[in-house]
Amino acid sequence: MTTAESSAATGRDLRIPFGLALMALACLAPLFLGNYPLHAIIIALIFLLPAHGLNLLLGYTGLLSLAQAAFFGIGAYVSALLAVHFGTPFYLNFLAAGLVTGAVALPLGIPALRLRSTSFVMCTLGFVIIGQAIAKNWISLTRGDMGLAAIPKPYFALGPASFTVSGTVGFYYLVLVIAILATFAVYLIVRSPAGRNMVAIRENETLAESVGIPTWHYKLAVFMISAALAGLGGSLYAHYLTVVSPLTFQMYYSTTMLIIVLGGGAGTISGVIFGSLLFVGLTEALRVAPELRMIAYGFFLLGLVFWFPNGFAPLIGRFSSFLEKRK
Amino acid sequence: MSGLPILDISGLCKSYGAVRAVDGVDLHVGRGEICGLIGPNGSGKSTFFDCVTGLARPSAGAVKLDGQDITGWSLNDIAREGRMLRSFQKTVVFSTLDIEENLVIAGQMFTFPGILSTFGIGAAARNRVAALRERARELIQIAGLWDVRFQPAGKLSGGQQKLIQFASMMMPEPKLILLDEPMAGINPKLIERVVDSIRLANTSFGVSFLIIEHNIDVVTSLCKRVVVLDQGRKLAEGTPGEIVQNQAVREAYLGG
Repeated sequence: MTTAESSAATGRDLRIPFGLALMALACLAPLFLGNYPLHAIIIALIFLLPAHGLNLLLGYTGLLSLAQAAFFGIGAYVSALLAVHFGTPFYLNFLAAGLVTGAVALPLGIPALRLRSTSFVMCTLGFVIIGQAIAKNWISLTRGDMGLAAIPKPYFALGPASFTVSGTVGFYYLVLVIAILATFAVYLIVRSPAGRNMVAIRENETLAESVGIPTWHYKLAVFMISAALAGLGGSLYAHYLTVVSPLTFQMYYSTTMLIIVLGGGAGTISGVIFGSLLFVGLTEALRVAPELRMIAYGFFLLGLVFWFPNGFAPLIGRFSSFLEKRK
Repeated sequence: MSGLPILDISGLCKSYGAVRAVDGVDLHVGRGEICGLIGPNGSGKSTFFDCVTGLARPSAGAVKLDGQDITGWSLNDIAREGRMLRSFQKTVVFSTLDIEENLVIAGQMFTFPGILSTFGIGAAARNRVAALRERARELIQIAGLWDVRFQPAGKLSGGQQKLIQFASMMMPEPKLILLDEPMAGINPKLIERVVDSIRLANTSFGVSFLIIEHNIDVVTSLCKRVVVLDQGRKLAEGTPGEIVQNQAVREAYLGG
């Protein structure tokens, strides 16, 4: 983590042009990518939101949570229910998903964050299981295992004008804009004095208390922000796939987000972006060999743990300082 | 040393089940005073500190800081006031961050009016942080850590970490600092530097101190008054010279 931070500091001049180039590339992607790779990138960008949230929690504040799938699912259901029952425009569903999940995180976080390390992790795992149980059994609201289908594609109504984002390319641009905005928001949080206090809590909670940082309030605030980000991701997911079911509350999603953050590089923004593109891309790419898919994925993770225990972020840092030296 | 004491503790007790770790201790620290707190291992010094600074909740008794009753306040409530700060026996720093970041963090909660304002990104927040950086650099220079200021604090020696901790506590211009064994585990050369820092903070910035310390030479040179704890009780109080002569103190240390 340290190497990444220090090289990020020396490579500051490079980060802006590099980011702009990446954004330009992302904008032009539909021109040279087919629908299927574009679909994979859309999934990666949707997962980027909960991964950003988990990174704030784990990478910056030092709290390991497996609850991201629960908030992802809540966000998806909130959006789906609003769209199906009330036909509200997309941006309202999207914002409601973020607000509701953020609000739900408050009563869940108050007892959970009182727990220490392992107990907290188990508690957050419980949220996913409870979420799935509710989605399965509150049939009058969620239609149980049948799930909610025919969720409309993102539909905007601004005054007299209204339009629907349909097709893969349209949705790709929508998700891209949201992902860029979310990344920027996370960047602002991390760079603010609050971000510094979060890192202080990660490094040593008692010391943080002793310099006056109200660690409890920060942990609760970050837990809510991270939940809201997961909820926003869930909303996009629901509108993209147009179906939600109790399977949206999957432990598998929580572990995927964990792998994205740890594999990409906890405590770095670029690492998480890289991580979500790589890991979601990888699971999609491995579909060509369905029998070997999970085995290959497993070996890849083993290799990652052995050779890159800090994730890929240090590698990105080294690469940019290498470019720096060549100039 | 006139007027109200900066810290006034009366009848402080802390029990863990049947064990009375601190048992009715009265203690005061005058304004501008450096007061020593000594005692054999397990005599309740650190528990006493924890109760005074809010890391532990006292079972009974009252703690008054600058005339205000702060009994039962939490560690961060007391720290956020910026009047009384403490160090820990086991030296701790924010280890992956450099010295300047360590000091900026140590000052942040005293310059930002609330939690929400720390999420600020506007010019006001930037100016506050810039002012903190300036003060941090000054203190880094005074502490003699300028050459290593870009290194992660965790990579520095134990003595240098003590100096970082000390500089961190000076960030909000406190009135009283409680030090828990500031000389433990550091080399003799740095001991002198830490002693000088304490003396400088006391004379130039008017900071009062309450210091737990085993190194009797340090206690003798810094403190005019020493309080001795034994088995959770106050055993003796007086000048270092009187304490060294005190028969009861000698017996406590020899385990008599």
